[in-house]
Amino acid sequence: MTAMAKPSPFEAAIEAAYAARSKTNEAQAAAFDRFARLGLPHRRVEGWKWSDVNAALRAAAPGEVETPEIAPSPFAPLEPLEFRIVNGRIDLPKEDAPEGVRYGVMNPVGTIDELEQHAIATLNVAMTRKTLGIEVLDGVDFERPILIRHISGGAGFSFAQTMMRISPNAKVQIIETYEGEGAGFYSHLGHMVVRDGAEMRRAVLNETGAENVTHGICAAKLDEKARFYQTGLSTGARLSRHETHVHFWAPGSSASLNSASLLSGERHADFTSEAQFRAPDCAAAQLHKGVARDRARNVFQGKFNVWRDAQKTDAKMTANALLLSDGAEANHKPELEIYADDVECAHGSTVGALDDEALFYLRQRGLDEAAARALLVEAFVGEAMENIEDEALRAIFAERIADWLEKE
Amino acid sequence: MLKIEDLHVAVGNKDGGGSEILKGLSLEVPKGEVHAIMGPNGSGKSTLSYTIAGRDGYEATSGDVLLDGQSVLDLDPDERAAKGLFLSFQHPMEIPGVQTMNFIRTALNAQRKARGEGEVSAADFIRLIREKAKLVGLDDAKLKRQFNVGFSGGEKKRMEMLQMAMFEPHFAIMDETDSGLDIDALKMVGAVVNELRGPDRGFLVITHYQRLLDYIKPDAVHVLAGGRIVKSGGPELAVELEKSGYDQFIEAA
Ligand SMILES: Nc1ncnc2c1ncn2[C@@H]1O[C@H](COP(=O)(O)OP(=O)(O)OP(=O)(O)O)[C@@H](O)[C@H]1O
Ligand SMILES: [Mg+2]
Repeated sequence: MTAMAKPSPFEAAIEAAYAARSKTNEAQAAAFDRFARLGLPHRRVEGWKWSDVNAALRAAAPGEVETPEIAPSPFAPLEPLEFRIVNGRIDLPKEDAPEGVRYGVMNPVGTIDELEQHAIATLNVAMTRKTLGIEVLDGVDFERPILIRHISGGAGFSFAQTMMRISPNAKVQIIETYEGEGAGFYSHLGHMVVRDGAEMRRAVLNETGAENVTHGICAAKLDEKARFYQTGLSTGARLSRHETHVHFWAPGSSASLNSASLLSGERHADFTSEAQFRAPDCAAAQLHKGVARDRARNVFQGKFNVWRDAQKTDAKMTANALLLSDGAEANHKPELEIYADDVECAHGSTVGALDDEALFYLRQRGLDEAAARALLVEAFVGEAMENIEDEALRAIFAERIADWLEKE
Repeated sequence: MLKIEDLHVAVGNKDGGGSEILKGLSLEVPKGEVHAIMGPNGSGKSTLSYTIAGRDGYEATSGDVLLDGQSVLDLDPDERAAKGLFLSFQHPMEIPGVQTMNFIRTALNAQRKARGEGEVSAADFIRLIREKAKLVGLDDAKLKRQFNVGFSGGEKKRMEMLQMAMFEPHFAIMDETDSGLDIDALKMVGAVVNELRGPDRGFLVITHYQRLLDYIKPDAVHVLAGGRIVKSGGPELAVELEKSGYDQFIEAA
């Protein structure tokens, strides 16, 4: 085992936890060696300039994980098939597996090739003991949403993985929530495979506490004519970062990658994504909306990479930030890297304040200042939620937004 | 009911240190009357309507605006709206992401709540808005869209009239509602005003054309030039202006 050069207290605690483990396989040992060389990402590492995980974890001394109190999920009214991952421990649903899906606890999956140099992905591979596996069977339109609740507590660290396979021509709605009031670190690595003609909708809600550091990765592999529609909403944390890596391996698939953040205080949210177009006739639409007030910071990094063979790629990326206080910040990095010649790709990015003219218009109609501001913020953020297909699910997201506006 | 006394307004910067646009404007619209204001481009008609409605940056440096004998200048725009003051905007804006029906209902109930009245139920609201939408010529599909997004100029004006019909304001200022409207739409504006017209309502109709006044018979016509009302008269004044233009008043002001 390679020792870390100058570990921070959190890195040292992770290193000690790894050394104390009785059973690790070769892939995990190799992964830990890679992590030991890389260390936790910090602002001088490319892609982490605005989200310095190492610094965020230096702010608190590493402690122990604690069993959190678990409140009912806001998505309970949808009667989802509910999985929980509590401090990295997987709880399967209390009911018998319904028809059309299979799931279970599996041995951890190895490194994802494309993320080999990703320090947190690597660390996750080294540390995760068990993986939650879910499969939606051939041609099944699974009507109940599948809810995965990531809940952490205390000031320790925990790691988890999920492996999801959406079989050919199947369709499913996944909901993932990130919850936890503690001051610890949680890392989740999700592998998603969306097979030929299948559709995966993924809605992510991050409502972790102000002291928390959460990192989620979703690596999605799309086969022929697969569809992947994702919507994320984060109210931030000391640092929350949700990464999506979409690989279009076969022709005719499409994706939408929407996200929004609502940030106050000192909170920080980061939505980072890459779409790798490797086959022709694929399409992606991406809309990010960030709202920050006080001294909060919103980060959006989006990258479209169009490979030489990916002719007729149609990809559009838009990031808009709304800053409600002078001390708030938005950092956007939209990137296009295009090696095919017959493509339609575009990106746009804006940062601004609330429109005075619109505010006056609403107030002239009778809304007081707070209500007018709330309506405009809600409208701004709501646009990113429009790719949620199910009305009841969209309504719950709208409620979370309204709740935030009321509280803040 | 609306009384404007020696009103001075400077715009340009927030401290009121910009150039003076209204220079001692006085005007009175008694209860139940409709008055028209005409005047050259840039003479301050929209400035007057923004000042009455309470837009930031359009504060009175001196003078007063009274509604039913009470000054409104210290009130927030929404407090003025709750008193029944309505402004039909010269250039209504698009507000992306705001659902039209939801917004109008929220606004209506906010006004009612501020006046101590009960909320309008969802069912009553839908019935009412359907009826009024028909009157102003907006179909259901338009009501389901985001507020004014992608609407034509004329459709946006219809949306202003829809809101006026829904809110039944105590005093309405219509800033060039007729500009850009086709003949049928002009008649519609006339119909909306005439339906609302009554002993307890007043209107200030800003227009460049006498044509709208064929449908809305004003009780008085005023000419605004050089930051003041330079002439007042009956409906015949509008006809005369259409013929001879504003040159005479610009000289005078
Ligand atoms: N916010 C502002 N900042 C600077 N100047 C302004 C502002 N608002 C109005 N003005 C100026 O005040 C003057 C009067 O403008 P206003 O819009 O009131 O004219 P109007 O009579 O409504 O004209 P129109 O017939 O073209 O609608 C113009 O010279 C205009 O440029
Ligand atoms: Mg004007």
